[in-house]
Amino acid sequence: MVFWLARASLRRRAGAFTGSFLVLLFGAVMVMSFASMLDTGRGTGVDAISSETLTTMGSVVGGWGMCLVVFAVVSTLGLSVRQRATETALLKSAGATPAQIVRMIAGEAALVSVAAAAAAVAPSYLLGRFLLGLLKDTGQVAGGVAFAFGTIALLVGFGVTVGSAVIAALWTARQATRVSVAVSVIGAATGPVRLTWKRIVPAAVLLIGGLYLGVLTVTAFADKGPDAMPVAGQACILASMGLALLAPGLVRATTALTGRLLHGRGAAGYLTVQHLRRRTGQAASALMPIILFTGIGTGILYLQLIENRAVAATGYLRSNEQQNIQTLNLVVIGMIVVFACIMLINTLVASTTFRRREFAQLRLAGATPAQVLRTVRTEGLVIVATGTVLGVLASAVTVLPYSIVRADRWIPDLPAWVLLAIIAVAVTATLSAALGTAHRMLRTPAVDAMAP
Amino acid sequence: MFQQGMVTPPLASGQALRLDAVTRHYESPGGTVRALNGVSLALDGGSFTAVMGPSGSGKSTLLQCAAGLDTPTSGRVLVDGVEMSGGTEAELTRFRRNRIGFVFQHFNLLPTLTVLQNATLPLRLAGKRVDRTQAVEVLTRVGLADRLDHLPAQLSGGQQQRVAIARALVAGPRVVFADEPTGALDTRSARQVLALLQEAVRIDGRTLVMVTHDPVAAAHADQVLFLADGRLVGRLAEPTAAAVADAMTRLTDQAARGRVAEGV
Ligand SMILES: Nc1ncnc2c1ncn2[C@@H]1O[C@H](COP(=O)(O)OP(=O)(O)OP(=O)(O)O)[C@@H](O)[C@H]1O
Ligand SMILES: [Mg+2]
Repeated sequence: MVFWLARASLRRRAGAFTGSFLVLLFGAVMVMSFASMLDTGRGTGVDAISSETLTTMGSVVGGWGMCLVVFAVVSTLGLSVRQRATETALLKSAGATPAQIVRMIAGEAALVSVAAAAAAVAPSYLLGRFLLGLLKDTGQVAGGVAFAFGTIALLVGFGVTVGSAVIAALWTARQATRVSVAVSVIGAATGPVRLTWKRIVPAAVLLIGGLYLGVLTVTAFADKGPDAMPVAGQACILASMGLALLAPGLVRATTALTGRLLHGRGAAGYLTVQHLRRRTGQAASALMPIILFTGIGTGILYLQLIENRAVAATGYLRSNEQQNIQTLNLVVIGMIVVFACIMLINTLVASTTFRRREFAQLRLAGATPAQVLRTVRTEGLVIVATGTVLGVLASAVTVLPYSIVRADRWIPDLPAWVLLAIIAVAVTATLSAALGTAHRMLRTPAVDAMAP
Repeated sequence: MFQQGMVTPPLASGQALRLDAVTRHYESPGGTVRALNGVSLALDGGSFTAVMGPSGSGKSTLLQCAAGLDTPTSGRVLVDGVEMSGGTEAELTRFRRNRIGFVFQHFNLLPTLTVLQNATLPLRLAGKRVDRTQAVEVLTRVGLADRLDHLPAQLSGGQQQRVAIARALVAGPRVVFADEPTGALDTRSARQVLALLQEAVRIDGRTLVMVTHDPVAAAHADQVLFLADGRLVGRLAEPTAAAVADAMTRLTDQAARGRVAEGV
């Protein structure tokens, strides 16, 4: 019965699942391709040095990618489950037991994530082979090592993707079904807003961890040169995830700070303030990927630029090998940044689609389509401004220490355009996803859009 | 009373709403659906009209076309003597703002706004100054003075519908449309809602057009218009609940016979 319900619901909500599927797919590709380095390293006839490089690459870089993927999957699946609070409440009032609903939602998550992991196998194979090629070109792995894609890649890929999706769905669904029908309808309207210790404790651990790695970079790794890179690089990942976890509280702080300013800006500003205040949870889920994208993107791109500048300062021409290491780093950075960007777009499309009814109600109450779009734009701008400021703060725990280590100055002497470009991408992705989706919602006449 | 101290034109005189041969066709895979098939009517200012008819007869479509929420396929709609420009959604919205109020069966309050904020939303959207005292007065009249800061989800259905009525009246519209406003309410709340709507007509001189399935509700009106298959098929002045119920029974029987005759 439950499986049948899950499949029916998947088919009906194809659009909503596409977003989760894409995030899961890209996440699975990232995890699997790095895990295939571990498979390759265990192959017969692989020398000790090559094996060590491959294991490090697979476990360290892959490990961080995995953290990001788990984070993204949990937040994406959590969002999609929370958005269904009303539907869940209706199912419950129609006689479904909480356990049945939890099983149905977890069943859906399992179906989507297994499909995504299966679809990820072929691209992961290609990407893994490409990564090995880069490692060989940089001389870090012997030329004779053969690419292998086997048990570890598949186990880790499926395990991480399906595991985190199902656990996230179970957890959120349990929370969603625990409350009474009446309260969950209110919850659907207002969204969860409290900053509980379940968020604060891991956030504090991550933030302290990020700061600690930053301090470690300027102390224990101060004279280790490029070897400090991975330590410094991880600092901004930890700090970004820590801040992202605090998103609900940060949205509330932003609302308090900008409230006065926005209230002077007509109906759009007024509605933005009310939205941020009463749909804190929804705004927070949009803020999280913006912090991750800006924080991690800025942190690791400047890390590489500082390193480049330091190598150039030695006066030697950059060797082919160094050039290739840079390429490898950029590939890894690129994957992480692209993934964060996909998560950002998916979150905004999902949470804007969810507001179809609200937009229709606004129009019926006398809002012109332009006023609706202006409201969405104002909200998007507030969120993206907050997210980029916080992201840049998070990146500081990587950039400042590494700049001290490699260039003896806090603020690196580097062009600002990289930062501006990252901010531009964040702003463009946020606004085009939100406004594009809202525009699509507005194409349906308001009275039809009200139909459930 | 909903709009105090203003030099408003005499509301209770002249034609408030006029429909000339309004049609609304939907193209569907099964062919053209004629939801409205040439409806003409004229309603005086300060009148209360109930619209009745079998399910699918076009009542909601009629209200939406007359209220500027939908655009007729052909024909004209005039509110207060001004023709509704069948242009863009933005033009229709601006046309509606001062002239038309709408009350829906399912309230359609913004879930993120409080009672007071919902009631004043149309004014804010129209870029008008929001007079808090006046808004509170309107909400006091619908019996919600002690709920100003509640969210819709914290109110009963009847209370939500009363907020929706306050919202429909706050901008002082000439015509108020209500599509089954008591359809989702219990008898007691329904009676309160009807009384408030009636008050808007009798005391403030608004023109009210209300779709209902309930003969008792329809009996509150000055006249009942009957709709079948997208056409006006009857009119009952000075209605009583019994007369309305009779007329509806005849109408549904006819419709059933018609369907048998057509072999549907
Ligand atoms: N968007 C649409 N597309 C196609 N057909 C439609 C659409 N909206 C309404 N119709 C059709 O137009 C006809 C009139 O619908 P309408 O909603 O006006 O009926 P109604 O009298 O309000 O019915 P009820 O009493 O059930 O609310 C129906 O046959 C309906 O199926
Ligand atoms: Mg109807």
